[in-house]
Amino acid sequence: MALLEVRDVTKVHHSGSAPVVALQDVSLDVDGGDFVALVGKSGCGKSTLLHLCGAMDFPSSGEVALDGQVTTKLNDAGLTRLRRDNVGFVFQSFQLLHTLTAAENVELPLLLARKPGARKIALERLRWVEMKDYADRYPHQLSGGQQQRIAIARALAGNPRLLLADEPTGNLDTSTGEAVLALLARTAHEFGVAVLMATHSAESAAFVDRTLRMRDGRMESAGVLS
Amino acid sequence: MNSHWLLFLRLIARPLASEAARTSLTIFAVALGVAVVIAIRLAGQAAAGSFHSSIESLTGEADLLITSPGGLDERVLGNLVQLPYSFHFSPRIEDFAWVNGKSEALPFIGLDLIGDHPQGEFGANLARGAESMMPADAIWVGKALGFHPGDHVRLLINDAFHTFAIAGILQAGSGQLTEQKVIVADIGLAQKVTGKSGKLDSIAVRTPAGESDAHWRNLLETRLPVSAAVEPQGARTQENRKMLAAFRLNLRVLSYVALIVCAFLIYNAIAVSVVRRRNEIGVIRALGGTRLLILGGFLVEALLFAIAGSAAGLVIGRLMAIAAVKVIGSTVRSLYVSSQPAPIHLTFAAGIIAAGLGIGISLLAALAPAFAASRVAPVDAMARGREEYTVALRSRRVFLWALLLFAVAAILCKLPPVGGRPVFAYFAVVVLITAMAMATPGVITFFAAIANRLVERVLRVEGLLALRALRQSIGRTSVLTAALATAVAMTASVGIMVGSFRETVSVWVNNQLQADFYLRPLGIPGPDRHPTMDPSIADRIERLSGVAGVDRFRAYRITYNGLPATLAGGESSRIEDSTTTKFLPGENRQEILSKLPTGDYAVVSEPFANKHNIHTGSSLRIPLNGAIRRFEVLGIYYDYASEAGSVVLDRRTLLKYLPDPAVSNLAVYLRQGTNPGAVRRDIDQIIGGRAVMVSSNATLRRGALQVFDRTFRITYALEAVAVIVAVMGIAGALLALVIDRRREFAVLRFLGAAQPQVRRIILCEAGLLGLLANGIGLVLGAVLALILIFVVNKQSFGWTIQFHWPVALLLAVLSGIYATTTLAGLFPAGVATRMDPIEAIHEE
Repeated sequence: MALLEVRDVTKVHHSGSAPVVALQDVSLDVDGGDFVALVGKSGCGKSTLLHLCGAMDFPSSGEVALDGQVTTKLNDAGLTRLRRDNVGFVFQSFQLLHTLTAAENVELPLLLARKPGARKIALERLRWVEMKDYADRYPHQLSGGQQQRIAIARALAGNPRLLLADEPTGNLDTSTGEAVLALLARTAHEFGVAVLMATHSAESAAFVDRTLRMRDGRMESAGVLS
Repeated sequence: MNSHWLLFLRLIARPLASEAARTSLTIFAVALGVAVVIAIRLAGQAAAGSFHSSIESLTGEADLLITSPGGLDERVLGNLVQLPYSFHFSPRIEDFAWVNGKSEALPFIGLDLIGDHPQGEFGANLARGAESMMPADAIWVGKALGFHPGDHVRLLINDAFHTFAIAGILQAGSGQLTEQKVIVADIGLAQKVTGKSGKLDSIAVRTPAGESDAHWRNLLETRLPVSAAVEPQGARTQENRKMLAAFRLNLRVLSYVALIVCAFLIYNAIAVSVVRRRNEIGVIRALGGTRLLILGGFLVEALLFAIAGSAAGLVIGRLMAIAAVKVIGSTVRSLYVSSQPAPIHLTFAAGIIAAGLGIGISLLAALAPAFAASRVAPVDAMARGREEYTVALRSRRVFLWALLLFAVAAILCKLPPVGGRPVFAYFAVVVLITAMAMATPGVITFFAAIANRLVERVLRVEGLLALRALRQSIGRTSVLTAALATAVAMTASVGIMVGSFRETVSVWVNNQLQADFYLRPLGIPGPDRHPTMDPSIADRIERLSGVAGVDRFRAYRITYNGLPATLAGGESSRIEDSTTTKFLPGENRQEILSKLPTGDYAVVSEPFANKHNIHTGSSLRIPLNGAIRRFEVLGIYYDYASEAGSVVLDRRTLLKYLPDPAVSNLAVYLRQGTNPGAVRRDIDQIIGGRAVMVSSNATLRRGALQVFDRTFRITYALEAVAVIVAVMGIAGALLALVIDRRREFAVLRFLGAAQPQVRRIILCEAGLLGLLANGIGLVLGAVLALILIFVVNKQSFGWTIQFHWPVALLLAVLSGIYATTTLAGLFPAGVATRMDPIEAIHEE
């Protein structure tokens, strides 16, 4: 059984007058230590799939199971717990809290989960992303690449089994972007974390174990491990 | 369509409409601020009956009014009518009556209905009644009293009930609305029932044409005893106006507090708009928008809040005035003058003034953030967080300026009043509020620095995030804290002032009331009405075996230096240890009281001394019984019964000049070991059928404090409105904060924060804001209380108040405000938890 199992998932949004099908019959498996890239144009459903995988939303039909727990069977508190214990997020625009220092940003998920030893773990993660010297800096005092490193350290703070990265290099120049991709690959391989990354950049192919192509809400290549 | 109009619709109106809840809260806050000002203005005017002295009811078209302390001998009228001029003299008896001995005191006016038809519409009405056959006990009553011709009514006048037949109903003419509650009798009957046989309270005079009133006044004065005063008609109304000026001014100033709080909130609302639309500002400027366009846009936004708020405020204010007039009216009657409330008139002028204040203060408050927005360079507009950072850097320098302002306020408090008004003290209050607002960022920064660990330990990560958010958006937090702190400070200061005053009065009442029983006519006395009792009651009580002594007290309303006052005579010096009246420091009470009965000496109350600049040793000139009498002031005593002030003589001295033995009230002292119950029964027997109220010491003390509490109800109500305005502002601002920080809350949800945790963050922010505002407000409130007690009160009313911390009251009020502020976070917290994190993240 894979760590993340997505089976025949369809997601329909009802925000406007006509329903919009964001995902249709998508299936996917990701195992621990895998670095998987979801590639496709803007609006093809990559982010929606990440949100479903990260227990942020429910599918309209089909099933998402994370470490054997099916998200549709959980209430909001259960989803929060599942997310808190198993998932880390990395965003395109870093999404660091401006009111907190780098170390405090990394500590945040641990504090929210009421886990002890937050500072020690945060500093350890910062060291791992080579940002320990910047622990007391505020986000506006850091470059884009540095902020994304902090964001990765934050995503890893709670020892997640799945790390979801939504266009993590979208706001970075090429060389900084490559450094971040290398860091994500190292994360998958050294920590044994499953990394699922949404991207539209072709350069990521050199860093990932698998590339899955999406188009108009459908998976073009086989996402399920045989 | 005009491009400016399009820009206005798209950039100003649309965002306001899209945040209906926040916009409504801001408008409602302005509306309440304006409403309070309107309500107090209208209620103040109505409650004072347009300052109309009830005693001047039905003076009609008279030009002059002749009066004398203690009344005029009716033979004076005989001299006057012999004057070879076509004067019209209307002799009058002016007293008060209570229907069935209850409720409010009604003017009871005696007019010569047979020999002389009173003037005006009322007069014609009366004349028609008088010409018909009328019974000997006939009276006419105002329409508002609800009686019908032929009804019989029992009236309490002084210490006796009399039954009268209603001969007619008086229809008030225009401009005589306050006279709808009046009772008129023929002068003979009025003299008889008020115990003023052979006397007149006043003579209304209509002067012949051709010469000025001053000329006729001089002429009349030559034919009158020296003690008689000839004043223009309405002089007593003028006296009331002057006397009530300080009371009304202070009330008005208190009503402005809510507007000041509004100013902070408008400032905040516009500042929020500016921060939020920095990107828009950048784009508009880059696309060719001028600085003036940006400035004008934000000012128009403030104007929208102000116009909508002022319009709603006018309506709410008119409604609030109905409640306020009852409370203010009762204060006016118990402390100043027997004046019936006039109808509430929302005049065009009052509306314009209040709306002008609302709009003016809103625009003024919006000017700074709007100006700052117009100065933002397009490039900087994209730099998030930079502005807040600058505010934080500036806060230290601003803090030093705030300290300087505190020093300025201290100097202002030392300056004397202007025209009897504590103008500089009010300035000091405004300067202190400004200083507090300027010091607030520094205080918050300091608090955030020292409380960081504690907050994290107690409130965990939610508290820490809340504290950091407050610290980060210091510009906004400071304004909100300052707004609430202003409301808290004013509430605390008024609470401390009233609490101190109450404690002072309580101690004074306990000292003052040493007798075992007090007797007074059943009708409620007031500063301008002193119903009397049969003096034989005192003589008979004095002869009772258990009674050590009886202090007979008689009071008259007089005019001194154009202001009303009380002239009284007592016997306290005759009774050993009868009273522990406290005199000002340095004055020997025993010496004063033993000298008082030995000649033309007087003691005066503290408010009287302050109002008329009287010192120990000063000489008072009071017209009495045909001559101007001089009384040397032996001492100044503390007195909290009336703001107008009193001059007290020994009873024998008073009787020498005003030989009417009737008494206003009696204090009965028992011998030690006497059974009070037995004496009480004897007293009840002596009173017999008279309408005299006997109170025990404890009852009277309780009653005094009840009157006090009623008096200050309005001040609490005003402060409560200011607090409500501030709390609404907090709710609105937190809502704005939540909307602005959608992304942050969404990230937290992604990072594993549960909905209750997000809610807790908002509630922690509200709670921390409340805590900071309460702390700052309490400190400022204590300082403002010192100004209210030792400067404003002293310069306005002349009372000495001992500072006292009303701990229980403050605790209750501050906890209430704190709880309300925290609860104000519930709505924004609900909004935050209902947000879709995915949507919020995608918006970025």
